[in-house]
Amino acid sequence: MILFSKVLVANRGEIAVRVLQTLQAMGIATAAIYADPDDNAPHVALADEAFALEGSAAEETYLDRRKIIALAVQCGAEAVHPGYGFLAENPAFSKECVESGLVFIGPSPETIELLGDKIRSKDAAVQAGVPVVPSSPMWAPGESQADDMSAEIGFPLLVKAAAGGGGRGMRVVERVQDLYPALESASREAASAFGDGRVFLEQYIPAARHVEFQVLADSSGNTIHLLERECSVQRRYQKVIEETPSPALDQSLRNKMAASAVAMAKSAGYTNAGTVEFLVDAQTGDYYFLEMNARIQVEHPVTEETLKLDMVEWQTRIASGELIDFSQDDIQPQGHALECRIYAEDPYDNFAPATGQLLAWRPPSGMGIRLDSGVAEGQEITAYYDSMLAKLIVWGTDRQASIGRMLRALESFPVLGVTTNLPFLIRAINHPEFQSGDYDTGFIGKNQELTSPPESAILSGAAAQIAERFWQSAGRASGKGRGAATLQDMPGPWQGLPKSTLP
Amino acid sequence: MSPSAEMIEAPASDGAEIEVKLSSPSRWEGSVQLHDGRTVPFLAHRYGQQVHVWISGESYVFSPPTPIGRARRSGQQASDDIVSPVPGVVITVHVAADDTVTAGQDLVIVESMKTEQIVKSPRDGVVQRVSVEEGDRVDKGMRLVVLVPEVGE
Repeated sequence: MILFSKVLVANRGEIAVRVLQTLQAMGIATAAIYADPDDNAPHVALADEAFALEGSAAEETYLDRRKIIALAVQCGAEAVHPGYGFLAENPAFSKECVESGLVFIGPSPETIELLGDKIRSKDAAVQAGVPVVPSSPMWAPGESQADDMSAEIGFPLLVKAAAGGGGRGMRVVERVQDLYPALESASREAASAFGDGRVFLEQYIPAARHVEFQVLADSSGNTIHLLERECSVQRRYQKVIEETPSPALDQSLRNKMAASAVAMAKSAGYTNAGTVEFLVDAQTGDYYFLEMNARIQVEHPVTEETLKLDMVEWQTRIASGELIDFSQDDIQPQGHALECRIYAEDPYDNFAPATGQLLAWRPPSGMGIRLDSGVAEGQEITAYYDSMLAKLIVWGTDRQASIGRMLRALESFPVLGVTTNLPFLIRAINHPEFQSGDYDTGFIGKNQELTSPPESAILSGAAAQIAERFWQSAGRASGKGRGAATLQDMPGPWQGLPKSTLP
Repeated sequence: MSPSAEMIEAPASDGAEIEVKLSSPSRWEGSVQLHDGRTVPFLAHRYGQQVHVWISGESYVFSPPTPIGRARRSGQQASDDIVSPVPGVVITVHVAADDTVTAGQDLVIVESMKTEQIVKSPRDGVVQRVSVEEGDRVDKGMRLVVLVPEVGE
């Protein structure tokens, strides 16, 4: 089977870098695209060719299907890799790629459309004998039957976007009077993020665990699973920390869920890499199908690290028509892998997004440490796109080993200029509940200490002294010696600034 | 960056021993002994009139004391300004001048990094002025709405 000679990567940030690295390792020529704020981004430097999309907003750049397809055709690419987010699960885009003679690296447009409609995908799950969470029909702005729909499901309930994922367009609604504002806000957010404003209601299962199974399917219908990922550490319904194996599953539950995942993929006629997401009640062992994501997941590296298998390589090989050359029995995981998503956001201010220039970005390295990053020191982080900067992934012989490795890596990762969630990640990994493995999706909300600034002034006091000393030394003429200035020499107290007042 | 190891004695009263292991005009890197006896690494970066310090996983930003800074601190707080919590784009403005609002009421929705942030009224009051329109790009801390206390109650 002949692989593609050139592939265009229709994305930005860490996933564009990640995909480009594998394509280049496979000997495939690469093309990147970029919006104006990304003209200095690492994915632009890495690709063999990079094309400007001209513009800043996502709608006129990474979501502009016509622009992207025209560039792919012009540069002679044979295939397009969509990454995740943006156009990855847009059936029109995959269809238009095919119509323009390009191979879309992902499932067929029909499958994307089926799975993108959360109601239809649930029907497919039911047909495959997979348990599902009760939900309502679709709601669109201006429609008024949501009251009846909510009465059937009961409060609290979840408003969810029909399209996309990543927690966008999702709201928990506690009271009936909050239903319409939540529907409208979620619908707008979904329209902006995915170009599809349809939302629906779903029964809310609090304190459940979020566990997903990776599947891989080739064009001959051969479908295997690549085990699970535990994704229960979430804020705003968006994952922050993922691990495999999941501490919540015993072998019998794992086998049942894996069989459901494969059945779901087959029921949807799935080809390429996909992920079947479940909610798990750890007490009862009951599990429910949530959705199937027709793309590569953000957290795919933990699977790669325990299986030593390159998911992007297999996506590309399957898209070029190759068949999977290993069997389910060959899938034997080794050790434990853990991923932390590094977001530009303030953990002490309700995870509010942060922007600014990355003055320092010093990732840790070493045995068992992997950083999938889309940023570089000096880069400007803008409010145009997603706030995820990078993913830190570690591997260890067991869970305890990878937790220790992760802590050391997080603690030796200096970042300056842009506020990040790194202090939060350190506390979360250090937390007894996380360390015990007995945590659920309520972990962050329940443990306020994870998101409160340090109570002790020991660190901030030392930091202030360093700042003061550095300022003085920089102001001093060279060769003047190392006079030990005291605090009393200073004109007044130094002000600690809120981090987001950065220029 | 040329390495230059130098040990600077910190003021005895504060007890922090700062060891600078690498230094350049814009960077200091080294370790510091904390009050509790731990020695932890730090990285300091000078940026304009600010010094950014990373220390043992936490990051801080400092600026030298200035007369303006002091005046602002001692002066009256502009607590009537409702500001944007994030940089982004104004999606919806829910209120207009002279509207009476109650604590917790939605005032403005700002979208940042594809996520909606709802700015709610911190207390009961009357909208004196709305400083933004839908579609406006705002920075974090930029004024959205001016709120004044309700009169004549």
